[in-house]
Amino acid sequence: MVYDQLARPVYGVIRRVVRDPAQSEEVAQEVLLEVWRSASRFDPDMGGAATWVLTIAHRRAIDRVRSAAAAAAREHRVAETPEPRDEVAEAVEASLDRERVQRCLGGLTEVQRESITLAYYGGYTYRQVAALLGVTLAAIKTRIRDGLIRMRDCLGVS
Amino acid sequence: MLRVNPFWHDLHILTGAYALDALEDASEQERFARHLRRCGACAAEARGLREVSTALAFAAAQEPPPGMRERALELAERTRQLPPELSKRHRKRSRLAWPQLPWLHGPWLQGLVTVTAAVAIAAAVVFGIGQSDTRQQLNQARSQQAAIAAVLAAPDVRTVTGPTSLGGRTTAVVSAELRELVVSTSGLPVLTSGRVYQLWLIGPAPAAATAVRSAGLLPAATSGLTAPYFASGLVSGDKLGITVEPAGGAKQPTTTPIVLLPI
Repeated sequence: MVYDQLARPVYGVIRRVVRDPAQSEEVAQEVLLEVWRSASRFDPDMGGAATWVLTIAHRRAIDRVRSAAAAAAREHRVAETPEPRDEVAEAVEASLDRERVQRCLGGLTEVQRESITLAYYGGYTYRQVAALLGVTLAAIKTRIRDGLIRMRDCLGVS
Repeated sequence: MLRVNPFWHDLHILTGAYALDALEDASEQERFARHLRRCGACAAEARGLREVSTALAFAAAQEPPPGMRERALELAERTRQLPPELSKRHRKRSRLAWPQLPWLHGPWLQGLVTVTAAVAIAAAVVFGIGQSDTRQQLNQARSQQAAIAAVLAAPDVRTVTGPTSLGGRTTAVVSAELRELVVSTSGLPVLTSGRVYQLWLIGPAPAAATAVRSAGLLPAATSGLTAPYFASGLVSGDKLGITVEPAGGAKQPTTTPIVLLPI
């Protein structure tokens, strides 16, 4: 079912960033509604529809955790951020895509992998990631980009 | 190493952080988005890396809480869709082009999202269409979704909704210009075997022989929701009616409509 195909990654990615189930559903609802409202303005030239929807989902999730109200909860979360490798491994249901993404993540250097998972699943900015990993800003920008390029080639994204 | 303006180079390596939504703040986002408009190579790279983000999202897929779809549907019913932001020429081209466009550029994702027409995502995501198992059903679903997509993208699209006398609600998304509509229901009681819900378009002069036209049978519901059903042949002044009929449907309604929606 299409709903599952998109609703599951939409909810999953929001849940990963936001953590709290009730807040995650709220954000997911906002996303579904935004997709519904602006479907006629979707521009296929800008990339695939799944990418469009999931970009909205990730950005809304980020907005939520970066808002001032969430600041306190976040401080708390830093301590319990699991190993990036577990982030992916802990996922609820094994699937081909998950295995593939995991395999490709496994092919990165540790810093590349950590910076990507902290930024994407953790919702941290590259500056925060640099601070968390204790590397320079210039290094983190490069690690993230190089890591994603390797991921892209590994996944076979055109 | 590329010999470019060092400032540009510095911006360029932000494609990764941009694709992960990890830029610092709105002003940096804006600065980078401006840069992308000037630098075609950077924009292409950013698009490719953004698809890696999509892969990361798929890898995090998780079952949404029960009822999320129903709540989303309720919200959608109360929310007007934005009209397309396109020129007439572009719109015309797009409406034809969208359903044919591949959903995703990355081959690894294509197998994942099989049943789609690009703009049907509104219906697909919010209503959950495309419950099909066989190849034939898949193809039927695809062309139905293309038709549904066209209705949703129509400039004059409206949503009407009303309760039925058996409980539950009927929602119709209507384009008078296309003379087409998409019908969906929630919470209608399950019928005993041998009975079906039949849709009717009912003209303003019910006495006329052609006034009541069958618009087809409602598909069976999944967890209380029917998949959006596409119907055409709408005439100005029509109402949408639903009756309970014997399996296979009737030529004319044999029972009192459980709902009559002015559309």
